[in-house]
Amino acid sequence: MKDVTKLILEDGAVQDRRIYWDQDIYEQELEQIFARAWQFLAHESQIPNAGDFITTRMGEDNVIVARQPDGKIKAFINSCPHRGNVVCHADTGNARAFTCAYHGWAFGLDGELATVPLEHDAYYDAIERPRYAMHPVAKVESYKGLVFGTFDAGAPSLRDYLGDMAWYMDTFLDVPGGIELLGPPMKSILNCNWKVPVENFIADGYHVGWAHAAALKAIESPLSPLAGNQAYDVNSGLQVATRGGHGFGVIWDAAAAIHPDGGAYREWLAKRTPIMRERLGEWRSRFYNGHWDASIFPNCSFLYGTNTWKLWLPMGPHNIEVWTWTLVEKDMPAELKQMMVATNMMTFGTAGMLETDDGENMEQCTGSNRGWVTRRGKLYSGMGQVREGVHAELPGIVGKGIVCETSNRGFYRRWAELMSGRSWEEISREPHYAPNREVA
Amino acid sequence: MNAPTQIKTPANPRYVDRDTLFEVERFLIREARMLDEERFREWWQTQLTEDIHYVLPVREIRMRADKKPVGSNPGAFVFNDNYAMLDMRIRRLETGLVWMEDPQNYIRRFVSNIDAAWADVDGEVDAWSNFIVYRNRRQRDETVVWGTKQCRLRKVDGQWKLAGRTILVDQRVVLDKNLYFFL
Ligand code: FES
Ligand SMILES: [Fe+2]
Repeated sequence: MKDVTKLILEDGAVQDRRIYWDQDIYEQELEQIFARAWQFLAHESQIPNAGDFITTRMGEDNVIVARQPDGKIKAFINSCPHRGNVVCHADTGNARAFTCAYHGWAFGLDGELATVPLEHDAYYDAIERPRYAMHPVAKVESYKGLVFGTFDAGAPSLRDYLGDMAWYMDTFLDVPGGIELLGPPMKSILNCNWKVPVENFIADGYHVGWAHAAALKAIESPLSPLAGNQAYDVNSGLQVATRGGHGFGVIWDAAAAIHPDGGAYREWLAKRTPIMRERLGEWRSRFYNGHWDASIFPNCSFLYGTNTWKLWLPMGPHNIEVWTWTLVEKDMPAELKQMMVATNMMTFGTAGMLETDDGENMEQCTGSNRGWVTRRGKLYSGMGQVREGVHAELPGIVGKGIVCETSNRGFYRRWAELMSGRSWEEISREPHYAPNREVA
Repeated sequence: MNAPTQIKTPANPRYVDRDTLFEVERFLIREARMLDEERFREWWQTQLTEDIHYVLPVREIRMRADKKPVGSNPGAFVFNDNYAMLDMRIRRLETGLVWMEDPQNYIRRFVSNIDAAWADVDGEVDAWSNFIVYRNRRQRDETVVWGTKQCRLRKVDGQWKLAGRTILVDQRVVLDKNLYFFL
């Protein structure tokens, strides 16, 4: 195993460029991160009925996620234990069984081997079927409708894994009626390392005014003054790194800001805010009206407000698939949901006005590391480190302003912890990064 | 905006006469050249009707036996644009601040298999065609997008204009970083 102790330095502020390029580091990520961490699989609303399934990936492992007759959700590796064929090729559907196209082994909704052609005549009934179930995802749990899975039976519970991020995410998960993700997901590819978009969503308020200047001008929204960094107010938002590598930035009162015609959404927020204040208190009713950029460790990101939900699925060290859904509140009227979809597609869809800016940067940030000498360099995300600290009322480490890299550092501290190969227990016992400073 | 997700030839198409077909072909070919030459504002002003609906749906991979209608989930379009949204996309390009377009991309559109039939609205035509779009950028960044489209054309003051377009790209996973170009 590669010694990663020198790859991330200065409490997450300095990254060795090899982590975006080297095949051996990537293989270690598949083992130490993607085979251990909880990963987003689906929202429950995507598979409401018994037999409903979707196919997705955890790391580079193909998985099927299926609703069981008893209502529970199970997941297993989408590869036949006979000779390895992919069993299910549909994105989604409803099934009673999954039948392999090679020799016809059929598996139940739970992944158990159910029927074997010529079991009597050719195997002489000597096959021990339970040994040849599809490889199960060790744990599948759901948090307020969001379904995650991990291959590691020893991983902490999903609730513990999300930690303080769950407290923050309740802001939009704990709405009356809950949320749903509208799809089917858009899928496209980027020739970038999977961590680059995660960084971008978890912490990068810095690029918005510059990289997206054209889109911000064209959309003519309340965010337009940000174009070209014309207007930035450090008190207009904050950034949070929660223990576990999750984090987000928020711009106050900007939830509806990117919508070309945000009136209906603003009305909706105004109507729901008193309810949210009642349910979750003052702070989170404020978050409810803010615009968030966020990532859940390792590879799921979202923008609350723009309401885009993203998965960055690794396909080697320099290539990912980008999957995009629209996040909406279930109780929103149909027209408002449609508006959410329209804005998401217009901004962060496959032809999105902002997506297009970001994808280009993510590819170039990765590709430049091809150079042997370039790759021996370091990258810097130390912005705001001298001001971040603890907050009297908010959990996690809080950075001032949306233009800040506090949550990027949190992400890389977690990355280094898991990549070291230490157990969950060992990691949790160690002292955590804790700047001795109070942030207002 | 409710958007179509499929293209299907009607049962008994009333194919247009030879002169009309010629006009339709010229329209599609000249439009492609206009876009290749980045004359987006001119395209928007002269080739489109103000009630245009420009759609590129996301396709899902399903088993043939799956009877749930394709696109029954309302949630995903690469394009689902009206006249104002297309204007917004073009205004973005016009700012001169789109770093991805500078230096310029080379985009070349090929249109083929053109056919047309009278639509159920008087004086309107449905035109079908296949396309290939080649995009080359930076040093060696190149992609090809293949697909088909159905266009609704309407004659306004003696000139054909595009009133609707449904585009199907023949890829589940779009094998490029984005589709920010007009098809
Ligand atoms: S590989 Fe699946 S049945 Fe043989
Ligand atoms: Fe961005």
